[in-house]
Amino acid sequence: MRPARARDSGTALLFLSPLFVLVVGLIVYPFCRAIWLSFTDKLVGYPERFVGLRNYLYLLHDDGFHAVVRNSLVFTVASVGLKVLTGLAMALVLNVTWRWRNFFRGLFLLPWITSTVIIALTWRWMFDSFPGRGFFNSVLMDLGLLRSPMAVMATAGGAMFAVVVANWWRGFPFFGVSYLAAMQSIPLELYEAASIDGASMWRRFWHVTLPGVKHVVIVTVLLSFIWTINDFNIVYVMTRGGPGTATQVFATYSYEVAFNQLRWARGVTVSIFLVPLLVAGIALLSRYLLRQENA
Amino acid sequence: MTAARAFAVVGLVAFALVVLVPFWWIANMSFKTYEQVQFATSIYVPRPFTWANYTALWLDTRFPLWLRNSLVTAVAVTALTTVMASLGGYAIARLRFPGRGFVASLILVLYLVPPALLFIPLYRVLAELGATNTLASLILSYPTFTVPFCTWLLIGFFKALPHELEEAALVDGAGRTAALVRVLLPLAAPGIVASAIFAFTLSWNEFLYALVFIQDETALTVPVGLNLLIYGDVFSWGQLMAASVITTVPVVALYVFIQRWMVEGLAAGSVKG
Repeated sequence: MRPARARDSGTALLFLSPLFVLVVGLIVYPFCRAIWLSFTDKLVGYPERFVGLRNYLYLLHDDGFHAVVRNSLVFTVASVGLKVLTGLAMALVLNVTWRWRNFFRGLFLLPWITSTVIIALTWRWMFDSFPGRGFFNSVLMDLGLLRSPMAVMATAGGAMFAVVVANWWRGFPFFGVSYLAAMQSIPLELYEAASIDGASMWRRFWHVTLPGVKHVVIVTVLLSFIWTINDFNIVYVMTRGGPGTATQVFATYSYEVAFNQLRWARGVTVSIFLVPLLVAGIALLSRYLLRQENA
Repeated sequence: MTAARAFAVVGLVAFALVVLVPFWWIANMSFKTYEQVQFATSIYVPRPFTWANYTALWLDTRFPLWLRNSLVTAVAVTALTTVMASLGGYAIARLRFPGRGFVASLILVLYLVPPALLFIPLYRVLAELGATNTLASLILSYPTFTVPFCTWLLIGFFKALPHELEEAALVDGAGRTAALVRVLLPLAAPGIVASAIFAFTLSWNEFLYALVFIQDETALTVPVGLNLLIYGDVFSWGQLMAASVITTVPVVALYVFIQRWMVEGLAAGSVKG
């Protein structure tokens, strides 16, 4: 056994070496550079100087950054909440679908494989205030339910609503498919036993289905929270963070500060504020994912 | 039973509408003339129907070039990713070596590191390598998210394959590499194809790195090119719709082809129910 294991280690090292080069060179090293940059006053075209915590202190007292934190939380909590509810509904529907289930599952997954830029563009047009272009305005006015077009994206609340809808639309199919897989692994006997005990549909859902999918719900919420709070594409393409700063979130603000104001150090610092949250999220998620991996 | 069926039918129709209406709206607009949209004359179907937006897109914009750039990038990234992720996934799932658990956790953590955290320092690293403004910057940087994701998927696939086959090959005197190539690779083919398609799709759809790393209009990929069209010419919205349709079709076609593998891969690798 011993020589085989020694050979295993050699092979493993060989097979993993391209991965190590990639990880160290293009993930770990840039990440360390990011941390270092956040302690400097780097502007494009000037050499950086160490300034300690100045960027962090600046952002902590910056009203623009406070708005970013607020917007990101609203955007993330609303999107993820909607995705969980719609995902559960989608899984319940597919779970009782008696024919063509795989066809519908595939159909419903379409938004999830579509480019986020195209999704953002699509929803920009769906909400467009111009009747011939905007779906909602065209249809509502055609049906006589609306007299004059609504400029949804021009108001702070409307713009936030629109980016949440676009993010939700892209994300809920993944939730639905994951929940469906979990629901299908719940033993039928549990439902039968509950029925015999006289449990109503609602009680069966509450006491059998929900506990059966709880684990997957936690995993999807954590995953989606991490992705959504870092979202760039949908917000940038739909609103550029506007109107004003109404939809400015972490990633778009970081881009704005780094590439429009050319303050690289401060731009990096914006995203570094998310690191503690990410570490917590990743630690929780690893526990859940690796636990089932070993089970 | 009937209540459940009614619920299923209502639910299926509702979800189908939610999913399909936005796609239909874009396709619908891509076949309308400028006047039809401007005066809202034919809202629900393009009447008359026109290909004008598609021909204008193809002839008057750099779209064909952007499409080529996206394709070159996606193919190169997919090839690199498949090799690295297959080797890595195999090693972590099948070989016994010190620190294996740590490497497995590391892959998961890296898969969760968002690009929004890395784009500024990566830009500096790539600029120092002289790679910005070329497709090389994308081919180098996209594996930072495709490789962890695909490795994670493939660990699951390799783990699920029966150990006996490989051991039989090893007992017969085949080396590790031969055992991988001749015995496990064919069995893992569905997983590898699924992960390759994921890598292709992720690369095809990527926006942030392409936006930051490339300014030269001839080296843009489709998503960034589209973004340029929106804020560029006020009248090019019809072309934008046409471009959206053209960009979405190949991914959907690929996906229809391997839908089953993809969904199973998703269920097996990322969120094991």
